[in-house]
Amino acid sequence: MDFDLNEQQQMLRTMARDFLSRECSRTRVRELEKDSRGYDPDMLAKMAELGWLGLVLPEKYGGTGAGLLDLVVLLEEMGRNITPGPFFPTVALCALPLIKFGTKVQKAGYAADIAGGNKIWSLALTEESGSYDAADINCRADYNGTNYLINGEKWFVPFAHAADFLIVICRTGEVSNPQQVLTAFIIDTKCQGLKIELIPTIAGDGQCRVRFKNVKAGKQDILGGVGNGRKVFDFIMQSATILKCAEVSGACQAVLDMTLAYAKERIQFDKPIGSFMAIQHKLVDMLTEVEGLQYLVYYSAWLLASGQKAATQISMAKAKAAEVYQQVCIDGVKIHGAIGFSMDHDIGCFFRRIKSAEFMLGDRDTHLSKVASGIGL
Amino acid sequence: MDFEFSKKEEQLRREIREFARRELAGRDLITGLEEESLDEDWEFAMQMSKKLSQKGWLTMAWPKEYGGRDASFFEQHVYMDEASYRGIPGMTMGVSGIGWVGQSLMLFGSDEQRKKYLPPIAAGEPDGIWCTAYSEPNAGSDFANIQTRAVRDGDYYTLNGQKIWTSCAHRARWCWLAVRTDASVSKKQHGISLIILDMKSPGITIKPIYNYAGIHIFNELFFDNVRVPVANLVGTENRGWYQLMQSLAFERHSVAPQFYGTARRILEIIIKYAGRTNLHGKPLASDPLVKHKLAERAIELETLKLFGYEITWKLSKGLIPIYEAARNKAYCDFVMQRLATTGSEIIGAYSQVDMRSKWAKVEGSITRLYMMFPGISIAAGTDEIQKNIVGQFKMGLPRPY
Ligand SMILES: Cc1cc2nc3c(=O)[nH]c(=O)nc-3n(C[C@H](O)[C@H](O)[C@H](O)COP(=O)(O)OP(=O)(O)OC[C@H]3O[C@@H](n4cnc5c(N)ncnc54)[C@H](O)[C@@H]3O)c2cc1C
Repeated sequence: MDFDLNEQQQMLRTMARDFLSRECSRTRVRELEKDSRGYDPDMLAKMAELGWLGLVLPEKYGGTGAGLLDLVVLLEEMGRNITPGPFFPTVALCALPLIKFGTKVQKAGYAADIAGGNKIWSLALTEESGSYDAADINCRADYNGTNYLINGEKWFVPFAHAADFLIVICRTGEVSNPQQVLTAFIIDTKCQGLKIELIPTIAGDGQCRVRFKNVKAGKQDILGGVGNGRKVFDFIMQSATILKCAEVSGACQAVLDMTLAYAKERIQFDKPIGSFMAIQHKLVDMLTEVEGLQYLVYYSAWLLASGQKAATQISMAKAKAAEVYQQVCIDGVKIHGAIGFSMDHDIGCFFRRIKSAEFMLGDRDTHLSKVASGIGL
Repeated sequence: MDFEFSKKEEQLRREIREFARRELAGRDLITGLEEESLDEDWEFAMQMSKKLSQKGWLTMAWPKEYGGRDASFFEQHVYMDEASYRGIPGMTMGVSGIGWVGQSLMLFGSDEQRKKYLPPIAAGEPDGIWCTAYSEPNAGSDFANIQTRAVRDGDYYTLNGQKIWTSCAHRARWCWLAVRTDASVSKKQHGISLIILDMKSPGITIKPIYNYAGIHIFNELFFDNVRVPVANLVGTENRGWYQLMQSLAFERHSVAPQFYGTARRILEIIIKYAGRTNLHGKPLASDPLVKHKLAERAIELETLKLFGYEITWKLSKGLIPIYEAARNKAYCDFVMQRLATTGSEIIGAYSQVDMRSKWAKVEGSITRLYMMFPGISIAAGTDEIQKNIVGQFKMGLPRPY
């Protein structure tokens, strides 16, 4: 047993902390919330230079061939810094399924551009209902003998407005056979019939509605084979979900750190507020939850990376992440007092993102149901 | 035992409902506090204040001579509850004037002060808009620690210093201000005075502070040799702290019926949404998980309702509630938080959609509540401070600090 990061992961963490504190200050984060693009292309290019976009891509596609756990470490750091931008959708939501399910031609065609930071990707999965249950996918792709025609809507697609390609999960068969009916497609966002609109969110974090009207896709655009969309979906619901949890875990650590520092420095009644037991106990509860989440994330990522059954633990991590992040932000703001409620304070950046983290890749109830079936209910 | 309101009170409730239906035309503001942010909302709120005054509701519990109508505590309770439920903007006029300045002036003010300042509040006039400046950068929960100085010089005080988190200062005509008039005292609660400040005085700088949702509620205030006539002192010099403790009781007392009205409305909104929104082909409301969450919220609301009734009943018997108001404030904060989190779980991913966007669900009300509840909970004393009061005054626990 070993809870430690290996040497390479420690280096990655130090490098990430260093880079992000320099290039992505919280002031910059706030600016980007107001920016219509919602991210900084130069920052993304620098991340590509550091090898981050290709971190988990094989070397022959310009990547560094690192593992899922390394990406967990990197995303934890990004979460600490709430680094805005299409890194998560490109790498966690798309590069991983591309490598797992892509044909040789697809990998050769797309992967190097991801690693080089030249192309941005996103995943179009959930729909108007916001649900991450495969049964709620209604967007259709119908075969007309030569092409598939995609019709429908996808919602809350992160950074679709900046994306060059989308992985779109569509219904290609009848609902009565749920295992067979989904298919994943790779769609160029410049194609005809695609309409992308930015949904204004509190965090200004670039989520979009994407509408498809007779968007054409050929056989070569299918990811993972016709009728295999459910496999792609299940894969994403594990690998991307645990990476989202890593990001949230990092964010929770940051909120705890800043709140703890503030509790030691803020004086009221001639004492640091951290000397009041009510505040101490709240901080201790925060610590327990934040450490618990971090370990649950590491453990389930390790299960997944080492090829073991991980679905239940990943859902545990996601359900816990949503709860812990919300509680830590609420307590964090309250311990800061009025200053925590103001725009100029960093903690608000985290507060504004609670709901985005909670609902992307499935809310608490969705994952609690998965845990329930995982424990034999 | 009897938990019924009288016919007269029920009639008042109906009149308020009618008024809201007629006057608001969908411009209700359910979660309060934000009406001072945008000009158009503020203008509408001011129009409503005027109309509420014409109805005789705005300051109904005040004596007739100051523009009230000597209404009973129960009538006032019904008004607070129903008007909050209906989301009638302008009912608090930036909070301070109606909330505590009026009653405090009746208790400690001079005759001239009452004649000058009370009628514009009761009339719902722009001249009746007040802000309250207690907090300073180093004086929040510990607000006896205030440093802003007022130095007496003949018939004037000269003010220097800084206030922060002053809600509504950007709209206010007057400021209800706590200052230090004696810095030589050994106990910091001594040497504080309450002063009425004309917001048009030279030397005042107002700097907006936006909250983390971009809403402009509060401000920083800077005083650079601001001159205030000594006639604007309220009550006794250096006794401000003790006067203030009494006026804070007013601030906290109205909290429960107002929050209850708001919370009742929000719960209804969520229940309706759950009833008409389908997931997997079934209404959300048929999901046992959703049902249980909403049932729990309903229990909390029912409890809050009774806490509110209790204070009103005690007041009506001439008792002075002390810990009850603090208990209610802390409980309100808890109820609001639970309601906001449950609401956001039910509207799901849409709870992150900007409140004013065309894609916002339930007119952004849940998102607004979600973004506001931590601030509402901090304002007028945090949970911890309220609980310290209950521990000390009700339960006889030793003071922890
Ligand atoms: C929306 C809003 C509107 C406001 N409007 C006004 C206004 O109009 N006028 C005005 O004067 N002020 C206003 N305030 C300020 C408000 O009164 C203060 O924010 C509040 O008193 C808390 O002070 P603080 O923010 O400095 O927090 P602090 O006092 O620094 O408290 C920080 C944390 O320490 C805890 N703490 C402090 N002391 C103790 C203790 N003894 N035991 C246990 N825990 C403790 C607090 O509970 C809190 O969690 C407003 C605040 C908000 C959020």
